[in-house]
Amino acid sequence: MQAEQAWIEQALKGDRTAFGQLVRAYERPVYHLTYRMLGVSEEAEDAAQETFLRAYTRLSTYQPGRKFVNWLLSIASHYCIDRLRRNSRAPQLSLEDPMPPQWLSSDSDLPDQILDKKQERDKVRDVLGTLPPDYRAAVVLRYWYDMSYEEIAATTRSTESAVKSRLHRARRMMAAQLQAA
Amino acid sequence: MGEWIACEQNERISEWMSLFLDGLLDADRERRMEQHLNACAACRAEWQAMQRIAVLFAESAIMGPPLGFAVRVERRLAERVRERRRLFGGTAVLTGSLSLAGVAVAAVGMVVLSVVAWQWIGSFPAMQQGSSAVSQIASGVGLMGKGASLFLKDLLLRYGVPVLLLAGVGLTVLAGLWAWMFCNRRDRSRHNGYA
Repeated sequence: MQAEQAWIEQALKGDRTAFGQLVRAYERPVYHLTYRMLGVSEEAEDAAQETFLRAYTRLSTYQPGRKFVNWLLSIASHYCIDRLRRNSRAPQLSLEDPMPPQWLSSDSDLPDQILDKKQERDKVRDVLGTLPPDYRAAVVLRYWYDMSYEEIAATTRSTESAVKSRLHRARRMMAAQLQAA
Repeated sequence: MGEWIACEQNERISEWMSLFLDGLLDADRERRMEQHLNACAACRAEWQAMQRIAVLFAESAIMGPPLGFAVRVERRLAERVRERRRLFGGTAVLTGSLSLAGVAVAAVGMVVLSVVAWQWIGSFPAMQQGSSAVSQIASGVGLMGKGASLFLKDLLLRYGVPVLLLAGVGLTVLAGLWAWMFCNRRDRSRHNGYA
């Protein structure tokens, strides 16, 4: 935590190396969120990069009392929600995602395991894909980041009752999709 | 889905299911939910689907970015900082050029106005020769206009075409430079760091 605070302070003074340390420390949770939100690895990387660029330019607005990772996730979720809304208005070229490079590089996985992982990944993406962007954000933050309603509300800038309602409706929609499949 | 509609309590029970999954359902409602699920096949099917989703998500891996992600972010950040500086420089140049052009236009406008005023006042000699304040101002404006008119006539006859040409070329180059920087910035912002 002390190192994190020191990196933030140095980055605020314009030290891009210190900001690079923050990127290395939080690239995984940020990328995971953008991947679960967008479902395509290339778009997820672009969104995760954009999240860090925005974080750098808005670093002076970060309040030290708040968890830094949650602040980053807030930027990432808003960016992804906006992007999904924009994409829903624009024609889609392809929803197929090639195998993410981090899996192709794994030496330990057998072909069957790679296939299982791909199937599982497709299933998760299909289930999440049925949800509107703000429902999707609530589900991802609840299931993969184990956030409370209060934390999700703070991250998505909504209320606890809205989060409760979104999670309930999202679960119903996903259950319906699973039963129909 | 048709079965769900058949259960009148489904909306309330499914809300309780969601709360239960988040560990927020009290013991009394949990007991009532269990009783209902034992009796209602439609709600039970929905409950099983919700549980399967929870298991599916719990078993799915946490995704990390491809190798070299941080380096690509740093590269893109450096590019964006450079672009901002360039854009700021371009804006400063444009603002300066526009200010200079504004001053020049104002000066030319004043001279033209003086010349017009001198010619107009010249047709009223009584106004130029009177002793009132209006007459004195008119006389002053008339003299300024006369001087400016002679100066402009001389300037345009000697250097008119080169001066106008130089100013036009300068402003065109500045506008082109600024437009190029703006377009270049837009192209780079779409690039996410892959070669």
